[in-house]
Amino acid sequence: MGLNPRAVIDETEVEPKVPTTPAAEPVSSWLSGYTAVGGEYDEVRGIDGGPQPQYLPLFGELDAFDGAELRRRTETAQRIIHEQGITYNVYGDPRGMERPWQLDPIPFVISAAEWRVIERGLEQRAILLNRVLADCYGPQELIRSGALPPSLLFAQPDFLRACHGIRPLDGVHLQLYAADIARSPDGRWWVLSDRTQIPTGAGYALANRLVTSRVLPEAFRACRVNRLAPFFRELRERLARMSPRPSENPRVVLLTPGPYNETYFEQAWIARYLGYPLVEGQDLTVRDDRVFLKTLSGLEPVDVILRRVDDDWCDPLELRNDSTLGVPGLVEALRAGNVAVANSLGSGLVQSPAMMAFLPGLSRSLLGEDLLVPSLATWWCGQPGEMNHVLERLDDLYLRPAFRGGPVAVENAGALSRAGREALKDRIRFQPHTFVAQERIRLATAPGWDGTRISPHPVALRVYLVASGEGYKAMPGGLARVSPDPGARFITLQRGGSSKDTWVLADGPVDELSLLQSSKQSVELRRVGNNLPSRLADNFYWLGRYCERADATARLLRATLLRFSPESSGSAMPLLEPLLSAMAAQGQFPSLSERPELRTNPEALEAELLAAIFDGERRGSVRRLADQLQVLAMTVRDRTSNDLWRVLSTVDDRVTLPPGSPVVLAGEAVGVLSQTIIGLAAFHGLARENMTRAQGWRFLDMGVRIERCMYLASFLDHTLRSPEADNPSLLEAVLEVADCALTYRSRYNLLPNIAAVYDLVLLDDTNPRSLLFQLNQLVKHFERLPREKESALPSPAYRHLLSCLTRLRLSDPRSLLGLEQNWHKTEAGEAIQEVMRDLPKLSDAIAVSYFAHSAISRAGSSPA
Amino acid sequence: MRLRIRHRTTYRYSSPVSENYNEVRLQPVSDAAQDCHRFELVTRPGSKLQRHQDFHLNLVDHFYIPGPHESLVVEAQSEVTTTGVAARLAGAGFPMSRIGECRRIEGCFDFLQATPYVGLDVGVLRLAQEAASGAEDAWEAVLAMSGFVHREFSYDSSATTSNTTLAEVLVHRRGVCQDFAHVLLGLCRSMGIPARYVSGYLHVGDEAGWRGNLATHAWIEVFLPGHEWLPLDPTNNRPADQHHIKVAVGRDYADAAPLRGNFKGRATQEMAVELEIVRVEASGGARPSVEGGSCFDVIGS
Repeated sequence: MGLNPRAVIDETEVEPKVPTTPAAEPVSSWLSGYTAVGGEYDEVRGIDGGPQPQYLPLFGELDAFDGAELRRRTETAQRIIHEQGITYNVYGDPRGMERPWQLDPIPFVISAAEWRVIERGLEQRAILLNRVLADCYGPQELIRSGALPPSLLFAQPDFLRACHGIRPLDGVHLQLYAADIARSPDGRWWVLSDRTQIPTGAGYALANRLVTSRVLPEAFRACRVNRLAPFFRELRERLARMSPRPSENPRVVLLTPGPYNETYFEQAWIARYLGYPLVEGQDLTVRDDRVFLKTLSGLEPVDVILRRVDDDWCDPLELRNDSTLGVPGLVEALRAGNVAVANSLGSGLVQSPAMMAFLPGLSRSLLGEDLLVPSLATWWCGQPGEMNHVLERLDDLYLRPAFRGGPVAVENAGALSRAGREALKDRIRFQPHTFVAQERIRLATAPGWDGTRISPHPVALRVYLVASGEGYKAMPGGLARVSPDPGARFITLQRGGSSKDTWVLADGPVDELSLLQSSKQSVELRRVGNNLPSRLADNFYWLGRYCERADATARLLRATLLRFSPESSGSAMPLLEPLLSAMAAQGQFPSLSERPELRTNPEALEAELLAAIFDGERRGSVRRLADQLQVLAMTVRDRTSNDLWRVLSTVDDRVTLPPGSPVVLAGEAVGVLSQTIIGLAAFHGLARENMTRAQGWRFLDMGVRIERCMYLASFLDHTLRSPEADNPSLLEAVLEVADCALTYRSRYNLLPNIAAVYDLVLLDDTNPRSLLFQLNQLVKHFERLPREKESALPSPAYRHLLSCLTRLRLSDPRSLLGLEQNWHKTEAGEAIQEVMRDLPKLSDAIAVSYFAHSAISRAGSSPA
Repeated sequence: MRLRIRHRTTYRYSSPVSENYNEVRLQPVSDAAQDCHRFELVTRPGSKLQRHQDFHLNLVDHFYIPGPHESLVVEAQSEVTTTGVAARLAGAGFPMSRIGECRRIEGCFDFLQATPYVGLDVGVLRLAQEAASGAEDAWEAVLAMSGFVHREFSYDSSATTSNTTLAEVLVHRRGVCQDFAHVLLGLCRSMGIPARYVSGYLHVGDEAGWRGNLATHAWIEVFLPGHEWLPLDPTNNRPADQHHIKVAVGRDYADAAPLRGNFKGRATQEMAVELEIVRVEASGGARPSVEGGSCFDVIGS
């Protein structure tokens, strides 16, 4: 917690615990210095200035703490957030893509009575918005009767014409609904905005609860806070009921835009909490108007999709053509009634600010009642009277685009120049329907911890509702968002700002249900998880391959640098050549035939070697591989431990030179490579010790084995072709790159001998670095693959593998002895060449059998 | 005129693709001005065809090919009789002073809006006012604007692509029938005259004096109260008639595109179109006239 000087002075003023507001008896020492910012409503001070009763139990408990204790608990909260990996992605933040979630430990407290008012008001609103949606995507009577102006619908990009006429099951468009609410200065609640497209943040509310209840367990117990779990149980039941297929166990999936989305953490969290597979558009496919999940064992039907992809991105065929996030044919599957999507496609229509201007009238005409919780005063300029009103009061109002993708918001027209204001007025007059104006409000404040004391902070609350029976049920709680800036009007988490847990106090017994702890229930024991989506298997496979490739490259570069000496470059060259050409063959190094000057110019060679490590733009450089590893690790983040992720981040950090850093010396580079190798070893160790032997691990390890085979075979082929193949110095390098030097020395008390060395690196199946060992492991994996077990004959991929293995087994390394040249034409050499030729086919065959229905970009290509 | 149309589109992919989902709007409409007697659609590789009506009531055939394939052929054959008689303005047009009434007519809502292809701004409005040159009758105004487009914009099949928007066409004032249609849509809508995009074919046989792409074609229809939708071809600056075979309508090209699809695979695609429109004489003898497929930038890739 940062301690700024001003805050410290404030604290010393507070310290003597002298009540500064003599009128109200201070219930807590924390409140004695707590004064509301002038003008706004404050949750503790209320209108009368006295502490509001719902806050008394909380402050009663907080009284037991001093500043140091609260600070300690805040730090604990930060630690839990870090350990749980609770993050929020900030767009346009290159390195810190993931920002730790910001949480203020002091909860926002609402009394039971007040909560009932909010809940009833928002339920009414959800029902109303649902009726409006059902009409807009159906008969459109509201337009015909004049209750809604046509352009409110037809000028909106969120009106999806392809979805007109699709009636969701039970006619409910909004399975989930959220509203941002805040208090006006008189203490009444107002709705600031509606969230009907994808109500985000419920998962963060859950995370806040998890953290806050652990950090303030005494207060949490004393306050008798309503639990959040019943809401999620309701959601799960609701989604199951939406299934168009009568089934005991309908398949519900959570459709995510992927790890780069701002709320990806939350999506993964909710999926895990509700027990749904987290899938991307590529994981799904539509066949015969039915949606299926592509898994390693084939296509599995999907009944319900809880979507976090914006509706117009959901089907590149009928909606946005440029979408890569969606599922082609989804709209048709919906039309056929074979799948349900929550919220319905097109439901973003009613969250436009323009709609708010009509809700009071619609409520009266559709429901026959007034809105229980009013909206923020809103004028849609599409009507002449409203437009004139807005033009007159331009400086007092907040001008916003009426629809998504509309004109840019103008927060304060009063700050514009005279000419700027006139231009703005012209724009409004020309296309009035694209503008709305809203009352500018200042948010009410609630107590929050600022590092040294408890002070008022502007707060808005997001409340969540789920459809239930005929109506809606609210999550007793919500996401309270806090602005760091006093007098704030808006809060966006993209621009910074923190959050709080929201405690709705119970006036009856508290339902203790939790979806996470079913410790006392009997469970069916399982040894396998849900079927792995093909895309994830694909990503694990390539994660394994890149990891091994980075390791092999680092070893080869290290062996080269250790043998490279600028003084004796001429004499060392024949020994270096096979190493360099092995890298050249992988496209990681310039070929010596094209750049012959590298043979005689040690400076140029050294520069090339360093670039092969540190140049992130260079194909196949260690740095580039480490970057690619990070990207791949991101895609399987949901299925791997945080430690694995962290290890790969450190590998990337090591080979990333800060811009403008001094020239690296060859000696230092050797150190960096060694650290990289150790980092990757840590990754392998964690993977081996932490991942269950399920399909994910299997594909990761297959990737490692195949890459190791291919890289090793290519390297050995080059060393055998070298005229120095039996030179003990080169054999020493072979042992070093293959990481077998120690084993060799423990077995043979002699200088490296070509037959003994190649026996060890090719054929010794007790050596985990030998070629034979890799092939044996691959055979074991193949025998356990889902579809491999079922077929009578080996698959094409398996055939390649068996043929390589047999050829290698039958080769005799002693044939390498006594030759003067042409070592690569021996049995051993030819077995190596067969591995080089056949393993890429094996890799392709795996891609076709297991990933093909999902692979868009990487399948069939080798790491680059 | 009774016409037989064979429209074959061939996609070739640089490497095998899969999960190829497509929808096509290729069936000529049957309405007062034309009658579609027959329509057949075939794909290679074969697929199960399904159809639905879209929001603008176009007939959409859709199909998918799940397995790997390196080419896709979509062939539509249809037979149509065009009369070109119904859609003529009878009697007086409609006064511009009352054109605002269209905003309250249900079928017009969509065709007064800005769309991704047809953005409306002050510049378009000024251009429309200049082009309409103060005409008091709406149909006169539309004809004046069509004349303006025909006069001020040059036909140039290399200047634009199927993704070119109105704003981009206005910069260079060059384009093909799709662009001409988008420009006139923008002008009409700015003036409050409901206007919609029409995609179809143009068959002129050996007649001279036609401009534009003689294969797949695009024009517009405007709505005037009391007259329904009136077709107008800005590329040739004349009302659409028996030479025009109407297939689909929409707010802009995107709504009425003849083919659109989506596949998986890391491949580039090449598209080739063969279009043959044959006049079938009442006596039964067919007089062929083949119009080659230089129209790809119109259909889109």
